[in-house]
Amino acid sequence: MSTNVCVAGVGSTKFGVLPGRNLQSLAAEAARAALADSNIPPARIGCVFVGNFVGGIMTGQELLGPIVAADLGLSNVAAIKIEAACASSSAAARIGHDLIRAGAEDAVLVIGVERLTGTPRDALTTAMTAAIDQGTEGVAGLTFPAFWGMVMTRHMHLYGTTREQVAAVTVKNRKFGVGNPLAQFQKPVTPDEVLASPPISDPIRRYDCCPATDGAAALVLTNETLAKLYGSPAVRVAASVLLTGSARITDYDEITTHDGTVSAAIRAYEIAGVGPEDIDVAELHDCFSVAEIVDSEDLGFFAKGEGGPAVAGAPSARKVVINPSGGLLSKGHPTGATGCGQIYEVVMQLRGRHPNQVPNARLGLTHNGGGTAAAVTVHILKAL
Amino acid sequence: MTAMRGTVQSHTVIRVPDKAHAAMAPFVLLLVELANGKRVLGHFHGALPPAIGSRVIADASGQETPVFREETP
Repeated sequence: MSTNVCVAGVGSTKFGVLPGRNLQSLAAEAARAALADSNIPPARIGCVFVGNFVGGIMTGQELLGPIVAADLGLSNVAAIKIEAACASSSAAARIGHDLIRAGAEDAVLVIGVERLTGTPRDALTTAMTAAIDQGTEGVAGLTFPAFWGMVMTRHMHLYGTTREQVAAVTVKNRKFGVGNPLAQFQKPVTPDEVLASPPISDPIRRYDCCPATDGAAALVLTNETLAKLYGSPAVRVAASVLLTGSARITDYDEITTHDGTVSAAIRAYEIAGVGPEDIDVAELHDCFSVAEIVDSEDLGFFAKGEGGPAVAGAPSARKVVINPSGGLLSKGHPTGATGCGQIYEVVMQLRGRHPNQVPNARLGLTHNGGGTAAAVTVHILKAL
Repeated sequence: MTAMRGTVQSHTVIRVPDKAHAAMAPFVLLLVELANGKRVLGHFHGALPPAIGSRVIADASGQETPVFREETP
Protein backbone atom coordinates (compact mmCIF):
# COMPACT_ATOMS: atom_id res chain seq x y z
CA MET A 1 0.00 0.00 0.00
CA SER A 2 1.37 3.41 -0.85
CA THR A 3 1.66 6.15 1.73
CA ASN A 4 -1.04 8.75 2.33
CA VAL A 5 0.26 12.26 1.68
CA CYS A 6 -0.94 15.33 3.53
CA VAL A 7 -0.45 19.06 3.63
CA ALA A 8 0.90 19.35 7.18
CA GLY A 9 1.22 23.12 7.16
CA VAL A 10 0.76 26.20 4.98
CA GLY A 11 2.11 29.74 4.92
CA SER A 12 1.72 32.81 2.76
CA THR A 13 2.83 36.38 2.43
CA LYS A 14 0.33 39.06 1.53
CA PHE A 15 -0.27 39.09 -2.26
CA GLY A 16 0.08 42.53 -3.84
CA VAL A 17 2.53 45.27 -4.70
CA LEU A 18 5.40 44.66 -2.28
CA PRO A 19 8.19 47.11 -3.07
CA GLY A 20 11.57 46.48 -1.48
CA ARG A 21 11.02 42.73 -1.11
CA ASN A 22 13.20 40.33 -3.10
CA LEU A 23 12.44 36.72 -4.04
CA GLN A 24 14.57 35.35 -1.21
CA SER A 25 12.82 37.31 1.55
CA LEU A 26 9.32 36.55 0.22
CA ALA A 27 10.10 32.83 -0.11
CA ALA A 28 11.62 32.68 3.38
CA GLU A 29 8.65 34.45 4.98
CA ALA A 30 6.12 32.02 3.47
CA ALA A 31 8.31 28.98 4.20
CA ARG A 32 8.89 29.90 7.87
CA ALA A 33 5.16 30.41 8.31
CA ALA A 34 4.41 26.99 6.75
CA LEU A 35 7.03 25.23 8.90
CA ALA A 36 5.70 26.87 12.08
CA ASP A 37 2.10 26.04 11.09
CA SER A 38 2.99 22.37 10.45
CA ASN A 39 4.86 21.89 13.74
CA ILE A 40 7.28 19.67 11.76
CA PRO A 41 10.91 20.23 12.84
CA PRO A 42 12.87 21.79 9.92
CA ALA A 43 15.48 19.02 10.29
CA ARG A 44 12.88 16.52 9.00
CA ILE A 45 12.69 18.29 5.61
CA GLY A 46 14.47 16.31 2.89
CA CYS A 47 13.68 18.38 -0.19
CA VAL A 48 12.97 22.02 -0.98
CA PHE A 49 11.22 22.73 -4.28
CA VAL A 50 10.86 26.36 -5.30
CA GLY A 51 8.23 27.05 -7.95
CA ASN A 52 9.11 30.21 -9.88
CA PHE A 53 8.39 31.36 -13.43
CA VAL A 54 10.28 34.52 -14.41
CA GLY A 55 12.68 35.23 -11.52
CA GLY A 56 15.61 35.16 -13.91
CA ILE A 57 14.02 37.50 -16.47
CA MET A 58 12.44 39.94 -14.00
CA THR A 59 15.05 40.10 -11.23
CA GLY A 60 18.20 38.41 -12.56
CA GLN A 61 18.08 35.90 -9.68
CA GLU A 62 18.39 32.15 -10.27
CA LEU A 63 19.44 29.12 -8.18
CA LEU A 64 16.56 29.83 -5.81
CA GLY A 65 16.55 26.27 -4.40
CA PRO A 66 19.92 26.28 -2.61
CA ILE A 67 19.75 30.02 -1.76
CA VAL A 68 16.32 29.81 -0.11
CA ALA A 69 17.25 26.55 1.67
CA ALA A 70 20.36 28.26 3.08
CA ASP A 71 18.32 31.26 4.23
CA LEU A 72 16.03 28.84 6.09
CA GLY A 73 19.01 27.15 7.76
CA LEU A 74 18.34 23.87 5.95
CA SER A 75 21.48 21.94 5.06
CA ASN A 76 21.98 18.60 3.30
CA VAL A 77 18.70 18.88 1.44
CA ALA A 78 17.88 18.48 -2.24
CA ALA A 79 16.83 21.97 -3.30
CA ILE A 80 15.91 23.04 -6.82
CA LYS A 81 13.71 25.48 -8.72
CA ILE A 82 10.83 24.07 -10.76
CA GLU A 83 9.36 25.96 -13.70
CA ALA A 84 6.01 25.33 -15.39
CA ALA A 85 5.09 28.98 -16.09
CA CYS A 86 2.02 29.98 -14.02
CA ALA A 87 1.69 26.40 -12.71
CA SER A 88 5.26 26.25 -11.34
CA SER A 89 4.54 25.76 -7.63
CA SER A 90 1.62 23.36 -8.03
CA ALA A 91 3.85 21.31 -10.37
CA ALA A 92 6.45 21.38 -7.58
CA ALA A 93 3.77 20.16 -5.15
CA ARG A 94 3.00 17.24 -7.45
CA ILE A 95 6.67 16.18 -7.47
CA GLY A 96 6.91 16.50 -3.68
CA HIS A 97 3.69 14.50 -3.34
CA ASP A 98 5.08 11.69 -5.50
CA LEU A 99 8.32 11.44 -3.49
CA ILE A 100 6.39 11.10 -0.24
CA ARG A 101 3.86 8.69 -1.71
CA ALA A 102 6.68 6.48 -2.96
CA GLY A 103 8.32 6.54 0.48
CA ALA A 104 11.47 8.26 -0.83
CA GLU A 105 10.96 11.30 1.45
CA ASP A 106 9.08 11.92 4.70
CA ALA A 107 8.73 15.69 4.44
CA VAL A 108 9.09 18.12 1.53
CA LEU A 109 8.93 21.92 1.63
CA VAL A 110 7.26 23.40 -1.46
CA ILE A 111 7.51 27.14 -2.00
CA GLY A 112 6.08 29.31 -4.78
CA VAL A 113 7.46 32.82 -5.23
CA GLU A 114 7.33 35.65 -7.77
CA ARG A 115 8.07 39.36 -8.18
CA LEU A 116 6.24 41.04 -11.05
CA THR A 117 5.57 44.66 -10.07
CA GLY A 118 7.64 47.78 -10.58
CA THR A 119 8.39 46.97 -14.23
CA PRO A 120 7.02 48.77 -17.34
CA ARG A 121 3.99 46.99 -18.82
CA ASP A 122 5.63 46.02 -22.12
CA ALA A 123 8.53 44.40 -20.24
CA LEU A 124 6.04 42.44 -18.11
CA THR A 125 4.08 41.39 -21.24
CA THR A 126 7.34 40.25 -22.84
CA ALA A 127 8.31 38.26 -19.73
CA MET A 128 4.90 36.55 -19.58
CA THR A 129 5.09 35.61 -23.27
CA ALA A 130 8.16 33.51 -22.43
CA ALA A 131 5.50 30.81 -21.85
CA ILE A 132 4.35 31.09 -25.48
CA ASP A 133 6.27 29.11 -28.11
CA GLN A 134 8.45 31.91 -29.49
CA GLY A 135 9.43 29.88 -32.56
CA THR A 136 5.87 29.67 -33.89
CA GLU A 137 3.41 31.93 -32.10
CA GLY A 138 5.45 34.59 -30.32
CA VAL A 139 6.59 35.82 -33.74
CA ALA A 140 2.94 36.47 -34.72
CA GLY A 141 2.49 38.65 -31.62
CA LEU A 142 0.38 36.25 -29.53
CA THR A 143 0.12 37.37 -25.91
CA PHE A 144 -1.93 35.82 -23.08
CA PRO A 145 -4.68 38.47 -23.28
CA ALA A 146 -4.76 37.73 -27.05
CA PHE A 147 -5.04 33.97 -26.43
CA TRP A 148 -7.91 34.45 -23.97
CA GLY A 149 -9.43 37.15 -26.21
CA MET A 150 -9.69 34.57 -29.01
CA VAL A 151 -11.05 31.95 -26.58
CA MET A 152 -13.68 34.47 -25.39
CA THR A 153 -14.67 35.51 -28.93
CA ARG A 154 -15.22 31.88 -29.89
CA HIS A 155 -16.95 30.90 -26.61
CA MET A 156 -19.43 33.74 -27.17
CA HIS A 157 -19.90 32.62 -30.80
CA LEU A 158 -20.41 28.90 -30.04
CA TYR A 159 -22.37 29.06 -26.80
CA GLY A 160 -23.99 32.49 -26.75
CA THR A 161 -21.99 33.48 -23.66
CA THR A 162 -22.56 37.19 -23.12
CA ARG A 163 -20.18 40.03 -22.32
CA GLU A 164 -22.19 40.65 -19.13
CA GLN A 165 -21.82 37.01 -17.97
CA VAL A 166 -18.04 37.25 -18.39
CA ALA A 167 -17.98 40.54 -16.44
CA ALA A 168 -19.93 38.78 -13.65
CA VAL A 169 -16.80 36.67 -12.94
CA THR A 170 -14.75 39.78 -12.13
CA VAL A 171 -17.58 41.29 -10.07
CA LYS A 172 -17.96 38.05 -8.04
CA ASN A 173 -14.23 37.55 -7.43
CA ARG A 174 -13.66 41.21 -6.51
CA LYS A 175 -16.47 40.86 -3.97
CA PHE A 176 -14.73 37.81 -2.45
CA GLY A 177 -11.45 39.78 -2.41
CA VAL A 178 -12.97 42.34 -0.06
CA GLY A 179 -13.07 39.65 2.65
CA ASN A 180 -9.61 38.17 2.10
CA PRO A 181 -6.84 40.06 3.92
CA LEU A 182 -4.21 38.41 1.65
CA ALA A 183 -5.86 39.76 -1.52
CA GLN A 184 -4.29 42.45 -3.71
CA PHE A 185 -7.67 44.02 -4.58
CA GLN A 186 -10.00 44.49 -1.62
CA LYS A 187 -12.41 46.82 -3.38
CA PRO A 188 -15.54 45.72 -5.28
CA VAL A 189 -16.17 46.70 -8.92
CA THR A 190 -19.47 47.10 -10.76
CA PRO A 191 -20.32 45.43 -14.09
CA ASP A 192 -20.29 48.89 -15.71
CA GLU A 193 -16.76 49.54 -14.46
CA VAL A 194 -15.59 46.24 -16.02
CA LEU A 195 -17.24 47.08 -19.36
CA ALA A 196 -15.82 50.63 -19.36
CA SER A 197 -12.24 49.65 -18.48
CA PRO A 198 -9.61 50.11 -21.24
CA PRO A 199 -9.46 47.44 -23.98
CA ILE A 200 -6.37 45.18 -23.89
CA SER A 201 -6.98 42.52 -26.54
CA ASP A 202 -10.59 42.45 -27.79
CA PRO A 203 -12.93 41.60 -26.18
CA ILE A 204 -10.69 41.44 -23.07
CA ARG A 205 -10.60 44.64 -21.02
CA ARG A 206 -8.37 45.59 -18.13
CA TYR A 207 -10.79 44.38 -15.43
CA ASP A 208 -11.00 41.02 -17.21
CA CYS A 209 -7.27 40.56 -16.46
CA CYS A 210 -5.60 39.47 -13.25
CA PRO A 211 -3.07 42.00 -11.94
CA ALA A 212 0.72 41.77 -11.75
CA THR A 213 1.47 40.61 -8.23
CA ASP A 214 4.36 39.99 -5.84
CA GLY A 215 4.09 37.25 -3.25
CA ALA A 216 4.97 33.81 -1.97
CA ALA A 217 3.14 30.82 -0.51
CA ALA A 218 4.48 27.57 0.93
CA LEU A 219 3.38 24.07 1.91
CA VAL A 220 4.91 21.40 4.12
CA LEU A 221 4.00 18.03 2.59
CA THR A 222 4.50 14.93 4.73
CA ASN A 223 3.25 11.39 5.13
CA GLU A 224 0.32 11.14 7.53
CA THR A 225 2.34 9.23 10.13
CA LEU A 226 4.75 12.13 10.55
CA ALA A 227 1.88 14.66 10.65
CA LYS A 228 0.20 12.64 13.39
CA LEU A 229 3.47 12.35 15.37
CA TYR A 230 3.89 16.14 15.44
CA GLY A 231 0.20 17.03 15.75
CA SER A 232 0.08 18.90 12.44
CA PRO A 233 -3.25 20.46 11.37
CA ALA A 234 -3.16 18.15 8.35
CA VAL A 235 -5.36 17.94 5.27
CA ARG A 236 -5.14 14.86 3.01
CA VAL A 237 -3.96 15.13 -0.60
CA ALA A 238 -6.54 12.84 -2.22
CA ALA A 239 -5.15 13.45 -5.72
CA SER A 240 -2.21 15.33 -7.21
CA VAL A 241 -2.11 15.44 -11.01
CA LEU A 242 0.15 17.27 -13.48
CA LEU A 243 -0.53 16.79 -17.19
CA THR A 244 0.27 18.47 -20.46
CA GLY A 245 -2.38 20.05 -22.65
CA SER A 246 -2.11 21.80 -26.01
CA ALA A 247 1.16 23.75 -25.93
CA ARG A 248 0.19 26.09 -28.78
CA ILE A 249 -3.08 27.79 -29.67
CA THR A 250 -2.78 26.15 -33.11
CA ASP A 251 -2.55 22.68 -31.49
CA TYR A 252 -6.09 22.90 -30.10
CA ASP A 253 -8.90 20.98 -31.80
CA GLU A 254 -11.22 23.51 -30.17
CA ILE A 255 -9.84 26.49 -28.23
CA THR A 256 -12.88 26.76 -25.94
CA THR A 257 -12.23 23.30 -24.45
CA HIS A 258 -8.88 22.91 -22.73
CA ASP A 259 -7.78 19.31 -23.12
CA GLY A 260 -5.15 19.59 -20.36
CA THR A 261 -7.76 20.68 -17.81
CA VAL A 262 -10.26 18.03 -18.94
CA SER A 263 -7.72 15.17 -18.70
CA ALA A 264 -6.17 16.34 -15.42
CA ALA A 265 -9.61 16.66 -13.83
CA ILE A 266 -10.78 13.24 -15.02
CA ARG A 267 -7.61 11.62 -13.68
CA ALA A 268 -7.81 13.47 -10.35
CA TYR A 269 -11.47 12.52 -9.77
CA GLU A 270 -10.60 8.91 -10.58
CA ILE A 271 -7.65 8.82 -8.15
CA ALA A 272 -9.66 10.47 -5.36
CA GLY A 273 -12.73 8.35 -6.04
CA VAL A 274 -14.99 11.42 -6.20
CA GLY A 275 -16.75 13.47 -8.87
CA PRO A 276 -17.25 17.17 -9.55
CA GLU A 277 -20.61 16.97 -7.73
CA ASP A 278 -18.76 16.14 -4.48
CA ILE A 279 -16.51 19.23 -4.45
CA ASP A 280 -17.47 21.87 -1.87
CA VAL A 281 -14.92 24.54 -2.79
CA ALA A 282 -12.63 25.14 -5.78
CA GLU A 283 -9.81 27.56 -6.43
CA LEU A 284 -9.36 27.57 -10.20
CA HIS A 285 -7.13 29.45 -12.61
CA ASP A 286 -9.06 32.65 -13.44
CA CYS A 287 -6.09 34.49 -15.00
CA PHE A 288 -8.78 36.20 -17.13
CA SER A 289 -12.48 36.44 -16.31
CA VAL A 290 -13.47 34.18 -19.22
CA ALA A 291 -10.96 31.58 -18.02
CA GLU A 292 -13.11 30.88 -14.95
CA ILE A 293 -16.07 30.08 -17.23
CA VAL A 294 -14.01 27.78 -19.47
CA ASP A 295 -12.29 26.09 -16.51
CA SER A 296 -15.51 25.58 -14.54
CA GLU A 297 -16.89 23.71 -17.57
CA ASP A 298 -13.71 21.72 -18.27
CA LEU A 299 -13.47 20.66 -14.60
CA GLY A 300 -16.97 19.17 -14.92
CA PHE A 301 -18.80 21.65 -12.68
CA PHE A 302 -21.02 22.77 -15.57
CA ALA A 303 -21.81 21.48 -19.04
CA LYS A 304 -20.13 23.25 -21.96
CA GLY A 305 -21.82 26.61 -22.46
CA GLU A 306 -23.41 26.66 -18.99
CA GLY A 307 -20.46 28.31 -17.23
CA GLY A 308 -21.55 31.82 -18.25
CA PRO A 309 -25.19 31.52 -17.10
CA ALA A 310 -24.02 29.78 -13.87
CA VAL A 311 -21.71 32.62 -12.80
CA ALA A 312 -24.44 35.13 -13.67
CA GLY A 313 -26.76 33.39 -11.20
CA ALA A 314 -28.62 30.69 -13.17
CA PRO A 315 -29.76 27.82 -10.90
CA SER A 316 -27.32 24.89 -10.85
CA ALA A 317 -27.27 21.41 -9.33
CA ARG A 318 -23.66 21.99 -8.20
CA LYS A 319 -22.83 23.04 -4.65
CA VAL A 320 -19.26 24.12 -5.44
CA VAL A 321 -18.21 27.64 -4.44
CA ILE A 322 -15.63 28.92 -6.93
CA ASN A 323 -12.68 31.14 -5.99
CA PRO A 324 -13.81 32.35 -2.55
CA SER A 325 -10.24 33.67 -2.09
CA GLY A 326 -10.99 36.25 -4.78
CA GLY A 327 -9.10 34.15 -7.31
CA LEU A 328 -6.27 35.39 -9.48
CA LEU A 329 -8.48 38.31 -10.54
CA SER A 330 -8.70 39.72 -7.03
CA LYS A 331 -6.26 37.91 -4.73
CA GLY A 332 -3.65 38.43 -7.45
CA HIS A 333 -1.40 36.29 -9.63
CA PRO A 334 2.24 36.09 -8.53
CA THR A 335 2.61 33.48 -11.30
CA GLY A 336 5.10 31.02 -9.74
CA ALA A 337 3.44 31.38 -6.31
CA THR A 338 -0.18 30.99 -7.43
CA GLY A 339 -0.39 27.17 -7.24
CA CYS A 340 0.78 27.04 -3.61
CA GLY A 341 -1.44 30.05 -2.88
CA GLN A 342 -4.50 28.16 -4.13
CA ILE A 343 -3.64 25.12 -1.99
CA TYR A 344 -3.13 27.46 1.00
CA GLU A 345 -6.66 28.83 0.46
CA VAL A 346 -8.32 25.42 0.16
CA VAL A 347 -6.45 24.06 3.20
CA MET A 348 -7.80 26.99 5.24
CA GLN A 349 -11.31 26.21 3.97
CA LEU A 350 -10.99 22.54 4.97
CA ARG A 351 -9.75 23.54 8.44
CA GLY A 352 -12.82 25.79 8.74
CA ARG A 353 -10.61 28.84 9.24
CA HIS A 354 -11.02 30.82 6.02
CA PRO A 355 -12.13 34.48 6.17
CA ASN A 356 -14.67 33.67 3.40
CA GLN A 357 -15.56 30.28 4.89
CA VAL A 358 -17.67 27.90 2.79
CA PRO A 359 -19.97 26.19 5.35
CA ASN A 360 -19.02 22.54 6.04
CA ALA A 361 -16.31 22.41 3.39
CA ARG A 362 -14.90 18.85 3.44
CA LEU A 363 -13.59 18.38 -0.10
CA GLY A 364 -11.71 21.01 -2.12
CA LEU A 365 -10.08 21.26 -5.54
CA THR A 366 -7.36 23.46 -6.97
CA HIS A 367 -6.70 23.96 -10.69
CA ASN A 368 -3.61 25.78 -11.94
CA GLY A 369 -2.52 26.24 -15.55
CA GLY A 370 0.75 27.22 -17.21
CA GLY A 371 1.04 28.70 -20.70
CA THR A 372 -1.90 28.06 -23.04
CA ALA A 373 -3.19 25.55 -20.42
CA ALA A 374 -0.16 23.56 -21.61
CA ALA A 375 0.90 22.45 -18.09
CA VAL A 376 -2.11 21.80 -15.88
CA THR A 377 -2.35 20.63 -12.29
CA VAL A 378 -5.41 19.50 -10.39
CA HIS A 379 -5.22 18.79 -6.65
CA ILE A 380 -8.06 17.34 -4.62
CA LEU A 381 -7.79 17.93 -0.87
CA LYS A 382 -9.83 16.31 1.85
CA ALA A 383 -10.48 17.33 5.46
CA LEU A 384 -9.28 14.69 7.95
CA MET B 1 2.93 32.14 -55.83
CA THR B 2 1.16 29.73 -53.44
CA ALA B 3 -2.05 30.86 -51.78
CA MET B 4 -3.02 29.87 -48.25
CA ARG B 5 -6.81 29.55 -47.91
CA GLY B 6 -8.81 28.96 -44.76
CA THR B 7 -11.67 29.74 -42.42
CA VAL B 8 -11.54 32.12 -39.44
CA GLN B 9 -11.83 30.18 -36.16
CA SER B 10 -11.40 33.20 -33.91
CA HIS B 11 -9.95 36.69 -33.76
CA THR B 12 -8.77 39.47 -31.48
CA VAL B 13 -7.46 43.01 -31.84
CA ILE B 14 -4.23 43.34 -29.86
CA ARG B 15 -4.08 46.80 -28.30
CA VAL B 16 -1.39 46.10 -25.69
CA PRO B 17 1.36 44.21 -27.56
CA ASP B 18 4.68 42.76 -26.48
CA LYS B 19 7.81 44.82 -27.21
CA ALA B 20 8.52 43.20 -30.58
CA HIS B 21 5.09 44.20 -31.95
CA ALA B 22 4.79 47.64 -30.34
CA ALA B 23 5.02 49.51 -33.68
CA MET B 24 2.16 47.46 -35.21
CA ALA B 25 -0.47 47.96 -32.48
CA PRO B 26 -3.38 47.92 -32.61
CA PHE B 27 -3.48 44.94 -34.99
CA VAL B 28 -5.79 42.04 -35.80
CA LEU B 29 -4.65 38.50 -34.95
CA LEU B 30 -6.57 35.63 -36.57
CA LEU B 31 -6.72 31.91 -35.82
CA VAL B 32 -7.33 30.29 -39.20
CA GLU B 33 -8.11 26.67 -40.08
CA LEU B 34 -6.57 25.82 -43.43
CA ALA B 35 -8.13 23.49 -45.98
CA ASN B 36 -5.88 20.62 -44.80
CA GLY B 37 -7.13 21.02 -41.20
CA LYS B 38 -3.91 22.68 -39.99
CA ARG B 39 -4.30 25.82 -37.83
CA VAL B 40 -2.20 28.96 -38.24
CA LEU B 41 -2.01 32.38 -36.63
CA GLY B 42 -2.10 35.26 -39.07
CA HIS B 43 -2.33 39.00 -39.36
CA PHE B 44 -5.03 40.77 -41.41
CA HIS B 45 -5.31 43.54 -44.00
CA GLY B 46 -7.77 45.72 -42.10
CA ALA B 47 -8.46 47.27 -38.72
CA LEU B 48 -11.59 45.21 -37.93
CA PRO B 49 -11.46 41.40 -37.87
CA PRO B 50 -13.60 39.29 -40.21
CA ALA B 51 -16.40 37.27 -38.55
CA ILE B 52 -15.82 33.69 -37.36
CA GLY B 53 -16.47 31.41 -40.34
CA SER B 54 -15.27 33.96 -42.93
CA ARG B 55 -13.10 32.63 -45.77
CA VAL B 56 -9.67 34.25 -45.87
CA ILE B 57 -6.66 34.00 -48.16
CA ALA B 58 -2.96 34.87 -47.83
CA ASP B 59 0.17 34.66 -49.92
CA ALA B 60 1.95 31.66 -48.36
CA SER B 61 5.45 32.60 -49.47
CA GLY B 62 7.84 34.90 -47.72
CA GLN B 63 6.58 36.19 -44.39
CA GLU B 64 7.04 34.40 -41.07
CA THR B 65 3.39 35.21 -40.24
CA PRO B 66 0.83 35.10 -43.09
CA VAL B 67 -1.20 38.25 -43.72
CA PHE B 68 -4.77 37.33 -44.65
CA ARG B 69 -7.46 39.23 -46.51
CA GLU B 70 -11.10 38.30 -46.98
CA GLU B 71 -11.60 36.01 -49.95
CA THR B 72 -14.06 37.51 -52.40
CA PRO B 73 -16.51 34.87 -53.61
